[in-house]
Amino acid sequence: MLTAENLVKTFPGVRALDGASLTLHPGSVHALLGENGAGKSTLVKLLTGVYRPDGGRITQDGQELHFGGPLDAQRAGIGVVHQERNLIPAFTVAENIVLHHLPSRAGWLDRRRMRAEARRCLELLEVELDPDTPVARLSVAQGQLVEIAKALSLDSTVLLLDEPTASLTGDEADRLFTVVRRLRDSGHAVVLVSHKLEEVFAVADTVTVLRDGRSVAEAAPLADFTQGQIVDLMVGRAFASVRLAERTVDEQAPPALQLKDVSTALGHREVSLAVRPGEILGLYGLVGAGRSELAKAVLGLERITGGTVEVHGRPARIRSVGEALHRHRLGYVTEDRKNEGLFLEQPVSRNIAVTVWRRLARAGLVSDRRERDLAETYAQRLGIRIATPRQPAGELSGGNQQKVSLAKWLAAECDILIVDEPTVGIDVRTKAAFHELIAGLAADGLALLLISSDLPETVVLADRIAVMSDLRIVGELDNDHDYQRMSQQIIRLIHAETHVEGGVSAA
Amino acid sequence: MTAQTETAAPPRTPHRIPLWANPRIGLVVLLVVLVVLFSVLRPAFLNTRLTLTPLQSDISVYLVVGLAQLSVLSLGHMNMAVGRMAATSAFTMGLVHDKLGAGLVLSLLAGLAAGALLGALAGLIISRTGVNSFVVTLAMDFALAGLITILYTGVTGGVAFPTMPAAMTSLRFDTFADYCLGDVCGPRVPLVVPFAVLAALLVGLLFRYSRLGREILMTGASPRAAELSGIPTKTRIVQAHALSGLLAALAGFLLAANNGAFSASVGDSFLLPSFLAPVLGGTLLVGGAVSVLGAVLGATLTQVIYKGLNLLQFQLDELQLYIGLVLLAALSLDRARHVLAQRRGSRP
Amino acid sequence: MTLTAASRATLPGRHLWRTPEFTLGVIAVAGFLALAVATGGNLLSAGTLGAFFRFLAVPIVIGLSQMVVLAVGQMNLSVGALTGFCAMASAWLMLEAGLPAPLAVLAALLLGLAVGVGNGALVVLTRINGFIVTLATMTIIQGLRYGVNGPDTYQGYSAGLREFGRASILGLPAVFLVAVAVAVLVALFFGRTVTGRQLLASGGSPFAARLSGISHDRSLIIAHGLSGLLAGVAAVLTVAASGSVNATIGDDLLLPSFAAPIIGGVALAGGMVSVTGTLLAAFLIRLVDVMQAQFGINPRWVDLIIGAVVLGAVLLGTVRAKLQERST
Repeated sequence: MLTAENLVKTFPGVRALDGASLTLHPGSVHALLGENGAGKSTLVKLLTGVYRPDGGRITQDGQELHFGGPLDAQRAGIGVVHQERNLIPAFTVAENIVLHHLPSRAGWLDRRRMRAEARRCLELLEVELDPDTPVARLSVAQGQLVEIAKALSLDSTVLLLDEPTASLTGDEADRLFTVVRRLRDSGHAVVLVSHKLEEVFAVADTVTVLRDGRSVAEAAPLADFTQGQIVDLMVGRAFASVRLAERTVDEQAPPALQLKDVSTALGHREVSLAVRPGEILGLYGLVGAGRSELAKAVLGLERITGGTVEVHGRPARIRSVGEALHRHRLGYVTEDRKNEGLFLEQPVSRNIAVTVWRRLARAGLVSDRRERDLAETYAQRLGIRIATPRQPAGELSGGNQQKVSLAKWLAAECDILIVDEPTVGIDVRTKAAFHELIAGLAADGLALLLISSDLPETVVLADRIAVMSDLRIVGELDNDHDYQRMSQQIIRLIHAETHVEGGVSAA
Repeated sequence: MTAQTETAAPPRTPHRIPLWANPRIGLVVLLVVLVVLFSVLRPAFLNTRLTLTPLQSDISVYLVVGLAQLSVLSLGHMNMAVGRMAATSAFTMGLVHDKLGAGLVLSLLAGLAAGALLGALAGLIISRTGVNSFVVTLAMDFALAGLITILYTGVTGGVAFPTMPAAMTSLRFDTFADYCLGDVCGPRVPLVVPFAVLAALLVGLLFRYSRLGREILMTGASPRAAELSGIPTKTRIVQAHALSGLLAALAGFLLAANNGAFSASVGDSFLLPSFLAPVLGGTLLVGGAVSVLGAVLGATLTQVIYKGLNLLQFQLDELQLYIGLVLLAALSLDRARHVLAQRRGSRP
Repeated sequence: MTLTAASRATLPGRHLWRTPEFTLGVIAVAGFLALAVATGGNLLSAGTLGAFFRFLAVPIVIGLSQMVVLAVGQMNLSVGALTGFCAMASAWLMLEAGLPAPLAVLAALLLGLAVGVGNGALVVLTRINGFIVTLATMTIIQGLRYGVNGPDTYQGYSAGLREFGRASILGLPAVFLVAVAVAVLVALFFGRTVTGRQLLASGGSPFAARLSGISHDRSLIIAHGLSGLLAGVAAVLTVAASGSVNATIGDDLLLPSFAAPIIGGVALAGGMVSVTGTLLAAFLIRLVDVMQAQFGINPRWVDLIIGAVVLGAVLLGTVRAKLQERST
């Protein structure tokens, strides 16, 4: 019915999609799986008309489709429910459902027809919701159902659900999947983009796995695979067996950073972990486990409600990143480098020197030359490819941007670094270079907390791995760098956690 | 498994000509053209005593006004209360002189402190509550408007202080030509000019070379990235707004000197010029980049236009029309410049 | 779940007593009664009451003019100047061009609409922030306003129009009733028409609205156009009620145009309107004005207080929005 054939999409410096294919049949639930950076969201954006492909084509019933924008994709019957809600909070459920086509009688809103249409769509989903409820009053789960109803009102034949259960409880997810099954049974094609393998196995019929921008399994019946095999496909065994130079960690050394039973206003409960100098502690978890939020709590950006944070053995109440940096030499390489890690329009030299102006300044003044010299030093050390230090950071490729984001903390001579998803959206070769870089930092004596949802990356780099799920640490493991063994243990830890929560049961 | 390769080509070399040079050359050209035009139409334009000297005084005042706005434009904020902050500071200066008998220096310092405090208050409210700087400073402007009249009627029984520090009379009437070393006298440059020049130099130095200035600019460029890079953004916001208030106070002082009295009407016409000078000169409204040199040129250009049109006997209110048009044109150019800057600076 | 500012817009029936409009209403009634008592019933005499409402008409319409652009997250700094310009143009047409009053009224409305649309077009084309654009156009219009008749005043135009300005129906001034009628129309526009709902959608969630095919640019132009039209209405009411106009008309209207909707609970971020709130807030501001005259309070204290109240209202709105965010 709807197919994507060998789609290619390039951005400056990186090939996000390099031959991704997908086939959707009516009356089926199709899972789209892949690691962070594998190209899932790019593929979704191509299918929903946000981007145009640089190669390959999208066809529907044999006819090639060209989308000039999201509205074209909508008209072709492709509906999408994003992770963030796209509803008008001030309006009612009915108004939101028919927003694209508010029924009018000579300019006046025809409320009766509006309610009737809303009821029709909600009934198709067997969802009980009063069409006159203001959307602001709904829960996230209910809002999601309204968005699905909205897609139906647009006569969508294909429904793309992007990480739909990211903010749902177990019960709400169950209810969602009941709706998904109804959609399938009524002839729609549902695409489930997800990280959560249990859910995928519970509700999907077929699966497409993306890795490095291409489809490594395409529309294969899910019944043919085990979870382990899917994970293998997602990560590629060859990569997982890379080993880096041996490092020894001084087991006797006191921890550089230690969290003791830390609870936060966001809901973290009694999180304990410790990182020694020269050690890499991997903090692994699925998207939404609460790891970045924990890091931000350590930096004083979220409220800590219990427990203590200790830096080099002394309790530290950090209230800002500035305090963490200047008083404790603790740095945080953010996950969102474009919005939080870099000043895209400012020169690279400023991006790197921003943390050390205090040191560079003479009588409060900073010379451009010292800034540039510093930038050049670190550009060389990290292998950042720039034409000149005056170049705006936004002009660099993703990998180089990430290096700049890291450089400023190295320039500040931090001895503790929290690195959050360092290789997201970076291609494999640069990823490997990054891993060597990070291992090198540990060899130099830095204490590194590596937050990652990239399992192979974690197994390659970490000395120990703490596993986080649902705002809690569910286990801590010594890493023997054997991917098979470690990944099984970790998956089991997370699996056990979700089952205890009464989560999705296998259908 | 084939690797996705990053393009092996080296990153493109950026434009050699700095992006901001162009508007300033354009301004200089425009300035020269206008001066020639006005001189041809009204030769009196070139008369030093009649035109050029008062013009320099005006430029001094409005340059400082423009710098006051520039200080918060650096953050991507606005100060809609520049005029009233100037007036309140002028009141403080008048008060300190009239009631406490303070001389020039002390009055000036008192006024600058008052301005800085008002600015800091605005910055504090903005940084703590997250409310838009436009709204906060607009509300402050309104409140101060009321306060000023109350204060003046209460203290002076009218709208102005009767006296000024003696030294300010020389500021009003003298130029350097009135001071001679033997036979050599200074140029026909009003005494108020060095104040403005000094202010411009210091502000320029601040944003170009100082750590404080850079951190303020980075806060304007991306508040989130700034916070996560260890910059104390809340403090920088307060400091930038305090600077704005201080400069507004200085502008009020210079205006009072030119007019001969500390009165309630100081600052009434500051709002529009405060935007014109920096925007014409290339300072972005969104924050992250300022140009003091541009503000100097912008202020000069604006005052030349006012003076010239005045000499050509355009009524003041008609002037408004043309100034508004100039602002629109300047802003459209600013927008185009910003779009260009973005296109060079970011990738999807 | 707590009732949010957003949901109030569609459910005025439930939890009425918890809405800001209700609070405003209570304060308004209480204040009115207090003032009536304090003036020994003088407030309720025909003449005083008439004057009270007559000078409430323009603030109401001006407040609505600003509210309309606040709905799409914009601001219109030129409302005051535009009112004055339309008033001057209208008077000029009657006195210098000899046009009959109805045509001059129509011209004022069309002029306001045209300038408003112009503002919107500028915002869309240049992509500059609305309040900066309108700061510039405000200056231009001030120049044009002066250009109509210089420092002189227009008076003695259309006797019929001036009669209308003085007339009362059932004890309430005609101009006030017109303002209320306009308010009702605006409320209906945002509550019941497709265009109005689309405007609110654009203002509240531009991205979601765009995904539903609602053009943000179109919404901006319509909102600014409507704002200009309402400024034209305010101009007509001024011409009628004041009996004479000059180039200073409108200079004191800018802040009240913000104060009424903001105190009335309209969010600066856009996406919601409150005609009732704006009306009540305008009523309250007028009440304060009268109290000031009655008790001889320095008018500047009033300005000071209003400034503080506006700031307080915005702060309250921000706090409310943050709470709403946290509960979702």
